[in-house]
Order: sequence, then structure tokens, then C-alpha cells
Amino acid sequence: MRRGPLLVTFLSGAAVAALFFIPHHQAQAVNNKLLEWTLVVYAFALILGSMSLWNSHARKLNARAEGWPFSLVTLVSLVGITALGIWKGVGEGSPVGRIYNTVNSPLASTMFALLAFVIASAAFRAFRARSVEATLLLITAIVMMIGRVSIGPLISPHLPGVTEWLLDVPNLAAKRAIAVGVGLGAVSTALKIILGIERSYLGRS
Amino acid sequence: MLRSEAVDQTLDTRWFDPARLNILIGVLLFTAFLVVNIFRARAKSDLYVRPIAGLKALDEAIGRATEMGRSVLYVPGLSDMSEVGTFAAITILYRLAQRIAEMGCDLDVPCYDPVVMTVLDGAVRDAYSKVGRPDAFRPGCVHYVSAQQMAYVAAVNGTMLRDRPAANVYMGSFYAESLLLAETGATTGAIQIAGTDKVTQLPFFVCACDYTLLGEELFAASAYLGREPVQLATVIAQDWAKAVAAIAVTAALLLASLGHPTLASWLRAA
Amino acid sequence: MTWARKVLSIDRRIIFLLVAAGVALPLLRPVNLPITVTPRVQAAFDAIDALPAGSKVLLSMDYEPDIMAELFPMSVAVLRHCFRKHLQVIAMTLYPAGTGLGERALRTAAKAEGAVLNKDYAWLGYKSGFQVVMIGIGENLRGMYPVDFYGTPLDSIPVTRGVNAYRQMAMVINLSGSSATDYWIQFAQGRFHAPLVVGCTAVMATDYYPYLSSKQILGLVGGMKGAAEYERLIDTVGDARRGMDAQSLVHLIVALLVILGNVALFVARRAGEDLGGRPAGSMTR
Repeated sequence: MRRGPLLVTFLSGAAVAALFFIPHHQAQAVNNKLLEWTLVVYAFALILGSMSLWNSHARKLNARAEGWPFSLVTLVSLVGITALGIWKGVGEGSPVGRIYNTVNSPLASTMFALLAFVIASAAFRAFRARSVEATLLLITAIVMMIGRVSIGPLISPHLPGVTEWLLDVPNLAAKRAIAVGVGLGAVSTALKIILGIERSYLGRS
Repeated sequence: MLRSEAVDQTLDTRWFDPARLNILIGVLLFTAFLVVNIFRARAKSDLYVRPIAGLKALDEAIGRATEMGRSVLYVPGLSDMSEVGTFAAITILYRLAQRIAEMGCDLDVPCYDPVVMTVLDGAVRDAYSKVGRPDAFRPGCVHYVSAQQMAYVAAVNGTMLRDRPAANVYMGSFYAESLLLAETGATTGAIQIAGTDKVTQLPFFVCACDYTLLGEELFAASAYLGREPVQLATVIAQDWAKAVAAIAVTAALLLASLGHPTLASWLRAA
Repeated sequence: MTWARKVLSIDRRIIFLLVAAGVALPLLRPVNLPITVTPRVQAAFDAIDALPAGSKVLLSMDYEPDIMAELFPMSVAVLRHCFRKHLQVIAMTLYPAGTGLGERALRTAAKAEGAVLNKDYAWLGYKSGFQVVMIGIGENLRGMYPVDFYGTPLDSIPVTRGVNAYRQMAMVINLSGSSATDYWIQFAQGRFHAPLVVGCTAVMATDYYPYLSSKQILGLVGGMKGAAEYERLIDTVGDARRGMDAQSLVHLIVALLVILGNVALFVARRAGEDLGGRPAGSMTR
């Protein structure tokens, strides 16, 4: 039972890895085809996603669980938008397009804008000089916050230069060190999957 | 006419890109390290790997959730199956779900990507079966939310505020949503453990979470939690490769400083 | 409760109110603080500025409304520069919700600089699949976009006539708030060696510094600050420069709050109060 999926994983993983080194146009055509298949798989998975969304909210609604009115809104929106999309299309100027632009977009922008508030709250809580490392972090954070904006040069003309140095030297060195570790970890995980050492993603061990 | 000319000019008939020889050698070397360490692991089972505080805390988090009668919220990142970070999130959840099944607390896994949801659902079901508790699996605990970043954040934050999970675990690839999620979680008083391969999001998790797995620790987590010798061998192979990378970079730096930039140019990725 | 403890346990809604005031006041009463140009933005400007008039430039605006505050002003500034230099822009997006924003950015910049659709720029609209589209453009643009956003075949559009792959384009510019940038670097630059300029959100910017030093990207415009610097370089006052006043004030408020919090911590410690909590910047609790 397990051999089939493992074989598919090994062959497709090894093929994609090999295609990285083969620039031949026919090999790249195969690579492109594989990438197109992922889009097709994704489209089918969206159906599963919609069913999961329906089931999870219908369950909440039936049980009158806390926050069930939100589930009702979700289900009505899911059905309503799908029906409108099938009936009137989904392009610019269509009802779905208008709903997207006038409801979805402002809501998404609002959620993103909340970042400014939570960053301020998190910074206030986290930047405390409780140890030497934390004090260094705190000082660097203040220099960066002030030096990176227009007010920085008004306080000291050297501040932008200091922030550039902080970004270019200590920051970049640490980033590269973490990036090397992440890269090796990614290769390790990929090899574990291709070689069948890691099988938990198959849903069977 | 234009199209055929354009396509003809791009036809590449080479079967190997010599500019990528460095990457090929690196991958082959890494594979060799992996094989050597797997044999070592089979020969002696007590391979040492340094402890990671964040992973030890996972047990504490599950225990706390069980005591409080609340759930564990697992957020598997906002990426698809093309990101290795997502695979790490799947493997970690697989191990975590086994402990959760043993302890008997509830698990909630909201998903951003429908393919990832399908895979996670299978992995969690299997984890419950593996520890002999298939009956404890709650259908729908792994569920799809939205493939829109901020809609996903709104839904998960709502879950945190309504259900008040005792532990929030964030593992995988995260983007701008990292702080929005972690900060909301912090206000609910939940124990929070995060791990991501996205370097820019690490500071946000460090600020708002109790424990954070930094970069490569995310990929090593599954091996740590499973404690299987072959899995641990991959972590040691990773360390060997890192040592080789450090030696190669230092050698390239020294040689380039002495006026021999050949190694440095060769190491530069194609 | 001492004042120090009160400060340390301040209701976070007070912090939210201060931030809200810091954002709103400068937008209502602009101060027009000076903008200093950083080398990365200057490099992006110089790379575009060096292109000869009539050069074809592919601009991919890969973002949705949630991050438009940072990337929309950047798009307008870059487009205005391109139009001023008489570069021919082929614009596209890899996000479905990016079509409306991309079109709006093109119209805004075109109106300001007197550029004309199809003569000075083409709008291809949305196509799904990051890698597929990027590799596809490297081999056959018309395979990805047989027609533009309005349904006109590419061969009927003066800007896209004679252009079918990266090598017929003088530059690729990617403005994105997602991993799309990584793919542009990997495929457009890495595989097809297209000269690439990148614009991204502020939080992502440091991710791309290594690519700048390795010359894989020619310039980097990061966040609203980068967009404001670009506006200064093209000598305009747009949304980014106006927004920088607010950003400066909010940064100042947060810095003052952090300092206040630390003074309170110091005072509370001196008074022998047990404050608990964990040290920031360490992962051991």
C-alpha cells in the first residue's frame, strides 16, 4: 500500500532535482509541465477546502457553539458569492468584483494596518533591559526606529549612517548564518522525503 | 514569425549546466554525509544532539492544555506544499498529535492551503491510530479556513479569543501575519511556541512567544521529537555540512584576501 | 501600586490610542520632514535612469490591497520615472486582487506624466502560477499572455510588438510583498539573467540585501520609506512622502514608550518590586 506513494515521491522528487541541473529545452518543457500539474492539483484541492469550510461551520451552527452567528455569515457568504460568481462572472465590474473591491479589500487592509498597533504594544512589552543581551537589543532597536525615519537626521546627522552599518554588517552576518542553517535544513528535509526516511506526510507511517 | 524566432533563440541543448557544478557537488556531499550517519546511527543508537528549549516546552504545553481542559492550537504556516517549511510543519504536527492523543486533550489545526489541509488531516488521523487512540480523533479538527492572508488571521485570532486554547504552536513559513497571530495569542495568556524558516519573522515571534525555534531548528524538530536514530542521523549530517560550509567560506575568504579569488567565484551560486 | 508598576502594566489600548494619534495628526497637518536617500534606493533609481529611451521594461506589481499602503506609492513613483524616461512599460500582476491596483497605479502615473495606454505602456493583467508564468515569459510571453487585460492581442499593441521573452526587455522590475520576489530572483534573474530591480515591504527588505551585494538585483526599494526616497529622487510629493511624517512620529512614540518602560523597570527594581516575566531577546523562560 505504501510503496506506490513512496515510489511516486521518489521519482518525482529525483526528477525535479535532476531537472535543476539540466538546461536542455526538452527537460525544461517537462519541468514546466510538472509545475502546471501542481496548479491542476491545487484547483481540485480547493473543492476539498470548500467542503471542509462548510462542514466545520455547519457543525458550529448546528451545535449553536459560541460565535455561531459568524459561522452563519461565512456559510451565507460562501453560497452567495459562489452563486453570484457562476451567474454573473468574476471579472472587474461584476458583482463579485465589486464585493471584492468594496468589502474584502478594505477588510484586508484594515487587518494589515493593525500591525502598527500590535508592533507598538509588543515592542513596549518586549524591549526591557533585563540582561546584557536584552539591553543591546533595546539600544539597537531604538537607534533603528529613530534612525530609519525622517526625524533621525534631525536628531543626529550620523544616525542614518549608523542604521545602515547595523543593517549591512551585524544584521547581514546573522541573517546569512541563519540562512545557511535554513538552507541545509531544507535540503535535509527534502532528501528525507525523497529517500522515504520521512513519511508522516503520507498519512501512514 | 516573431514567436518562432524568439523560441528558437532560447533552445538550449546542453544536458548539464556547468555553472551549477558547485551545487551538485554540495548536494552529493550532503547525501554522502546522510548515508554515513544513517549507518552510524544503526550501529549505535545513542547519538547525542543538543537539547532545544522550545521542543522540550511542547510537552509542557500539551500537559498544561490537558490539565486546563483546553485545546492546543496548531498553526501550520501560510504556505503551500512547495515550501520545505510546510513539510517541517507537517512532520512536527505528526509527532505532536501522537502526544496529544496520548494525553487526551483537544487539537485544532486551521489551514491556509487546501492541499496542506488534506495532507495534515491524513497525518493527524494516522498519528492517533499509531498510539492506539483512533477513537479520540475528532473529525474536523484539521479544517480549512481561507487562502487569503488577512482573512485567515481574522479567523484564527477569533478562535484564540473565543476558545482560549491553552497552547498556541506556530510552525512553518510565516509572513506579515506572524505578529498579529502571536500578539493576540499573548493577550489570551496561552503558552506560545513558534518556529519558522522565514528570518524576517523571527524577531516578531521572539518578542511575542515564550519559545522560538530559530531557522534550522524547525527542520530538526521532527527528528528531536521522534528520537528515531535514522532521523537524528539527518540532524548530525546537517551539522557536518554546516562545518564544511564554514570551512569553505573561511578558505574562500582567506584565498580571496591573498589574491586568489577562484574558490570564492566558484562557490558563488549559478 | 507605584507609578512604575502602573507604567509597566499599562493597558495596551492606551498604546493603541497613542499610535492612532501619531498616525492621524501628521496626515491632517503635514510637516514635510526631509527625506534622506539611501544607497539601495539610489541604486534602483540609477539602474532605471540609465536605460535608453524606448527600452522595454517588464513591471510586475505582485501585491493585493492589504499592503497597498507601502507598495502602491512605490508603483506610482517607479512608473512615473519610467514614463519620464520614455521607457515602454509592460505591466502585469501575479495576484488576482492586484489587477485593480495595478491598473490604478498605471492610470495615476500615466495621467501625471502624459503617458498613453498601448503607446507608452501595456497592461497585461493577472496570470496565475508564480513559477509557471516567470519561466513562461522567459520562453514565450504570448504563451502566458496571448492578449492584454482588455483582450487586445499583444501583436496589435505597439509596446509589446517584437517582445516575446526577457532578452528583449532591458529590465524586470518586481514590486511585491510576498515570496514572489524570491521566484523572480530565482527564475527571471537566475535562469534567464534578466537585470532585476526589486521593491518590497519594509519588513522584507533586509531579506534581499545579500542579493544586492551579490549583484543579483540592481537596486532595492524597501517599504514606504523607500518609496518616499524614490519620490524625492523624481522630485514629486506623493503618498509615500506624506506618509513618512506619520511613520516618523509613530516611531518616535514607540521609542519613547520603550524608554519610559525601561525607566519604570529600573525604578521598580530599585524599589525592590518583584516584576516577574522573562528577559526579552532570550528564549529561556
